Amino acid sequence: MDQIITAAVAVVGVPLVLLGYIILGERVIERLPDHLQTWIRPYFWALPAIGFATIFMVYPLIRTVFLSFRNNADTDWVGFNNYVYFFTFPDTLTSLRNSLLWLVFYTLFAVGLGLIIAILLDRVRYESLAKIAIFLPVPISAVAASIIWKFMFDYQPPGSVQTGTLNAALGAFGGQPVAWLVNSTTNNPALIFVGVWSITGFCMVIISASLKSISTEVLEAARMDGANELRIVQLIVTPLLWPTITVVGTTMIINALKTFDIVFVLTSGAYDTDVIATQMFRQLATHHLSRAAAVGVVLFLAIVPLLVVNIRRFQQQEETR
Amino acid sequence: MTEVLARLSSRAIAGGLGVLLLIACSSGGGNNQTASSTDVTVWSAWGGNELKAYQDVLKPFESSTGIKVHLTTVRDANQLAINVDAGTSLPDIAPGPSVDKVKAWVEKGTLKSVETALGDKFGDYIANTYPALTTTSGSSDNLYIGIVGGKHYELMVKTQVKGLFWYNKKVFTGTAPKTFDELLAINPSQYGAQKLFCAGLESGGASGWPASDQIDNIIMRQSGDKLYTDWIQGKVKFTDPAIKLGYQTYLKEVSAQNVYGGPNTVLSTAFQRAGKPLFATPPGCLFLEQATFIPSFFKEDYPNLVAGTDFDFFGHPSVNPQYDGNVNGFYDNFAMYNDTPAARKLMQYMATKDAQQIWANDGGTLAAIKSINYTDPVYKRAAEVAGTAKNLLVTAGDFMPTDMQAAFWKSLLNVTRNPSSLDSELSRLDQVQKASYTTS
Repeated sequence: MDQIITAAVAVVGVPLVLLGYIILGERVIERLPDHLQTWIRPYFWALPAIGFATIFMVYPLIRTVFLSFRNNADTDWVGFNNYVYFFTFPDTLTSLRNSLLWLVFYTLFAVGLGLIIAILLDRVRYESLAKIAIFLPVPISAVAASIIWKFMFDYQPPGSVQTGTLNAALGAFGGQPVAWLVNSTTNNPALIFVGVWSITGFCMVIISASLKSISTEVLEAARMDGANELRIVQLIVTPLLWPTITVVGTTMIINALKTFDIVFVLTSGAYDTDVIATQMFRQLATHHLSRAAAVGVVLFLAIVPLLVVNIRRFQQQEETR
Repeated sequence: MTEVLARLSSRAIAGGLGVLLLIACSSGGGNNQTASSTDVTVWSAWGGNELKAYQDVLKPFESSTGIKVHLTTVRDANQLAINVDAGTSLPDIAPGPSVDKVKAWVEKGTLKSVETALGDKFGDYIANTYPALTTTSGSSDNLYIGIVGGKHYELMVKTQVKGLFWYNKKVFTGTAPKTFDELLAINPSQYGAQKLFCAGLESGGASGWPASDQIDNIIMRQSGDKLYTDWIQGKVKFTDPAIKLGYQTYLKEVSAQNVYGGPNTVLSTAFQRAGKPLFATPPGCLFLEQATFIPSFFKEDYPNLVAGTDFDFFGHPSVNPQYDGNVNGFYDNFAMYNDTPAARKLMQYMATKDAQQIWANDGGTLAAIKSINYTDPVYKRAAEVAGTAKNLLVTAGDFMPTDMQAAFWKSLLNVTRNPSSLDSELSRLDQVQKASYTTS
C-alpha cells in the first residue's frame, strides 16, 4: 500500500507541483516591468531542469566522491585508503587489466570491422540486406545476447555429445572441446568477442551514413586521376571519415569501460574475467559502499577526458555546418 | 481563455496538494503494538512451497485457539536490524538475527528467551529436539544456535543436513564406505562407471558454493568443530596447515583422475545438472556429494526416478574418527521479540510434534524434532544422519563476511582449475581475511 501511495505522489504530485510552479510563477512575472521580465523569464523556466539535474546528478556525484574518502559506515575520513585498496589488491588489479583489454580490443575490432564492412558494402548491390544482417545483434539486449552465447560456448566432457555450437563445430573437424569460459587464454577474448558481435552493426551504420555523405564527384575525380581503390580509401575516404571515426571510437571506449552485463551473465567475473564495472558491483553487493564509490570515481575519471573529446568534436562539427 | 485555464489549473493544483497532504497524514500512523492475546505478528523470509507449508502449519493453530496470525514475508534479512536500530516496532515473532547480533540483542532485551516463551513445556522441547540444535559442547554460548549464557533464544523448527553422497542404486551395489580413504579406494570400473565422483560448481554469481560445501564437510571432520568455527570467525588463517590439508583433500574429489570429465567439466557444469551422469548409460560416475534438496533436480532430468528405489545416499564418511558426529547442516528458527500471551502460545505450538509433523508432511525438509514420521524415504534416512550428529555445524561461507565468502568460493574454482595455484590462492585469502574481518 505504501508503495502505491509513493508512486501516486511521484506520478501525479510532481507534475502537479511543476505545473503550479509555472502557472503561479508566470502570473507573478507578468506583473513585473518589461525589462525585468525578459531578464528573469529564462532563469525561471530553466530552474526546474537545473534543480532536477542537481538533485539527481550533481549531488550523487559529489556524494560519491565524498564517500570514497570515508570509511564504510560513513563515520570517519580514511584518506586514500579505498583508492589504495583498488590499486593494490590482486583481484581489482586483474579487473583493471581486463578493462584495459576491453578498451583496446573491443574498440579496435568494433570500429575497425564497422569501417571495413561499411566500405565494402558500399560497393555491392545487396548492401541493405547485408547491413540488416550485421545490424541484427544491436537491438538485442546485452543480457539476451550473453545468454545466446552461453549456449554457443557450452562445454561437455570430451567424448560426449557437444551441445555448444562452437564445440560441436570443433568436434566435426576432429578437434577437442574447449572450455571457452573457464580456460584463461580463451575466456577474456570470448567475452570481448560477444561485445564486438553485438556492437559492430552500430559502428557500421554510423560510419556508413558518413560514407554516403562523401561526394561521388570527389571520388570520380580521384579515379580519373588514376588512383586505385586502395589509395582512394587511404587518402580520401579515411580522412573524410576521421571525425566520425573518432566519435564512434570514443563512444566505444566509453562502452568498453562501462562493460558489465556480458561479463556478469557469462562468467560473473570468475576465472579472472572481472572488469571495473563488475568489480564495482561486487563491492556494492558485499556492502563495501565506500570502496564501490572509489571504483566509481576511478571509472568516472577515466571516462571524463573521452567525454570532453567527444563534446569538443561535436561542437567543431556544429561550427563547420 | 488562458485566464480560465490558469484559474482552473490552479484550483486543480490546490485540490491535488490537499489530497497529497491527506495521504501523507494517513500513511504516518498505524502499526501500534499492544500485548495482544488475540493477534500475533510474524515475519518470515519464506516464499513458494516453504511459505505454503508454514501457512499449513498455522491453520490448525488459528482454528483451535482463535488467535489471528498476521504473517508477512520479509526477504531483506537486514530489515529486523534496521527496525531494532531505529527503535521502530518489531514483529512478535521472527527468525533470530545474524550471529554477530545475537549477543547484543540478548543484552538489550530485544530477544525474549525460549525458556520464557515455552514455560513448563521447555523440558519437552529440549528432550524432543535434535541435541545438536539445542546443546552447546562445553561453553555456555553457541551464538550459531542462539544460546547465550546457557539460555536459548532461538526455537528450532526445521533442519537440513548436507554433505550426503548420492548414488544410483542400480549401479553402486556395494556397502557404504566407513571412512574417506575407503571411499577414495573404491574402483568405479568395478561398477561399470567411468569415474568415482561427479561435481558441478557453476551457479552464476555464486559459482563455487557446492565446492565450499564439500571442503566444509572435510575440514569439520578432519580438524574438528573448534578449528572449524574459529576458521569461520577469522581466527584461523587460510594458510593454516589444517585448512591447507582440507583444500588438498577436496582436490582429490575433483582431480582429473577421480572426477567425471575432469576439472573443465566440473567448472562448466551447473550444480543442478551435476547428478545427470549418475543415471546415464554407461554411468559417468558413482557418487555426487550434495544436500537433501538434490533429488528434485535428478527428477528434472529423469522424471521416472523413485527415491529409495532408484537412488539413495550415505552420510559423509569419517575423515578423522576423533571428530565423528560433526555434521554440516542448517536450520530454521523463530525468536520471540514481543512477549505477549498470543506470541507465547504460537511459540509453544511450533515446538509441538503436531506442528512439525505438518512441516514434514509438506516435504522438502526435516523437522527439528527427532521422532517425526517421514513418507519420503530421503528424509527418513536424512533424519538418521541428523540423529547421529553431535554438532550440527553451519556452512562456513554463509557465516563469513560477504567478501570473504566470495573470495573463498572463487579460490575453490581457481584451485579446481589449477591445483598448483593452491599456495598463492591461500595467501591471497589470508589477505582478504585480514581486510574483511577488520573493516566490517
